[in-house]
Amino acid sequence: MATISFDLVSPENLVFNDEVGTIIVPGKDGDLGILPGHSKVMSSLRPGRVMVYSEDKNLIKSFFVSGGFAEINPEKCIVLAESVVEVNSLEKTSIEKEIQELENKEGKETEEQLSVAKAKLEAINVNYYDKI
Amino acid sequence: MPSLKDIKTQINSVGSTKKITSAMKMVAASKLRRSQEKAEAARPYSSRLEEMLSSLASSAASGEGIIKLLTGTGNDQNYIVVPVSADRGLCGGFNSSINRETFKLVKSLEGNGKKVQLMPVGKKSRDFFNRVMKDQIIESFVDLNVSSTGYESALNISNKLQELYFDGKFDKCILVFNKFKSAISQEVTQQQLIPLDVSNSEKEEEKENSSNAIYDYEPDEETILKDLLPKNVSIQIFKVLLESDAGEQGARMAAMDNATRNAGEMIDSLTLKYNRTRQAFITKELIEIISGAESI
Repeated sequence: MATISFDLVSPENLVFNDEVGTIIVPGKDGDLGILPGHSKVMSSLRPGRVMVYSEDKNLIKSFFVSGGFAEINPEKCIVLAESVVEVNSLEKTSIEKEIQELENKEGKETEEQLSVAKAKLEAINVNYYDKI
Repeated sequence: MPSLKDIKTQINSVGSTKKITSAMKMVAASKLRRSQEKAEAARPYSSRLEEMLSSLASSAASGEGIIKLLTGTGNDQNYIVVPVSADRGLCGGFNSSINRETFKLVKSLEGNGKKVQLMPVGKKSRDFFNRVMKDQIIESFVDLNVSSTGYESALNISNKLQELYFDGKFDKCILVFNKFKSAISQEVTQQQLIPLDVSNSEKEEEKENSSNAIYDYEPDEETILKDLLPKNVSIQIFKVLLESDAGEQGARMAAMDNATRNAGEMIDSLTLKYNRTRQAFITKELIEIISGAESI
């Protein structure tokens, strides 16, 4: 089976760069599953999980991104994310605390931060896509 | 003729200066390595963002709102110039070349009848322009510490710039910064930040490549472009800040290396002078003794 090259880039560094089998990215209007030979798509992302699978469909890594862009063509998939963390390294208690603090504040920025924090919490709790 | 003691004090003081400059050189060298790594790590993101933009840019018609970051306001009367300097001195011509270049740019723009405002980044350029064109400064950013705060600091500048832009305060924004070429050389560079300049020659080829490649856009072209453009401004600023930071450390390292070498040379020549004076002194005393002995 073919592979597709996948780059995950944050402003600070290149987080992931390898040949992989499948990627799932959280597109703005819904999740996109990307296989080798995918048609050309450019999409903006919502906060959520970027899942990376090997050729035989085993989950290699899952990242949390707080938004960004994905550029996809048949050979390559590039995800430009604002902030990238591995889902495993997220801590439930500290995020819950953050949400509580944010809920007491108001303002447009807080709203954005809150939605990112909530998405983080969801990313830890859910486990669909773990097996595809 | 200075006394022996004077020369000795001078040697000592030059010696301690030398110690300081060589310590600063080593500090700068280690900071340089870190800044350079950061600057290189940020490169993939900005270059890919540019690729994405250039494939989108050709499809954007002139419009209102955020698209104006790409297409411009249609005027070019009001300029904002952002000189990016360091917060500290002792790095050779690093800051002064930025200030000089910016000053020249402002004067030439004004000569063409444009209105120019300034938004200095870094203490050294803020202080300089506070002295020479105080009333043109609208905002300044100091103590950014880009190597420790990272992307956040760039975001502040970019938000401020965009706020001013959409208030119609300026039509064009030009960055003046030191481009990091190598550890020992920096190049003063001007970059037009707003509206975005996508006419670089290297991208012409890419454009041709991507023109026959039609993308699907999700949700749609305009939404993506609207997300992408403000981000690009921040990223460009971030890149410039990192480059300037690396350049500063490089310039400081070179300047301190020079200073250390000069101090060494100075100590050598002072030591020679010290020995000569000492010898002249001894000879003089000997002559006095001998002539004294002869006269008896």
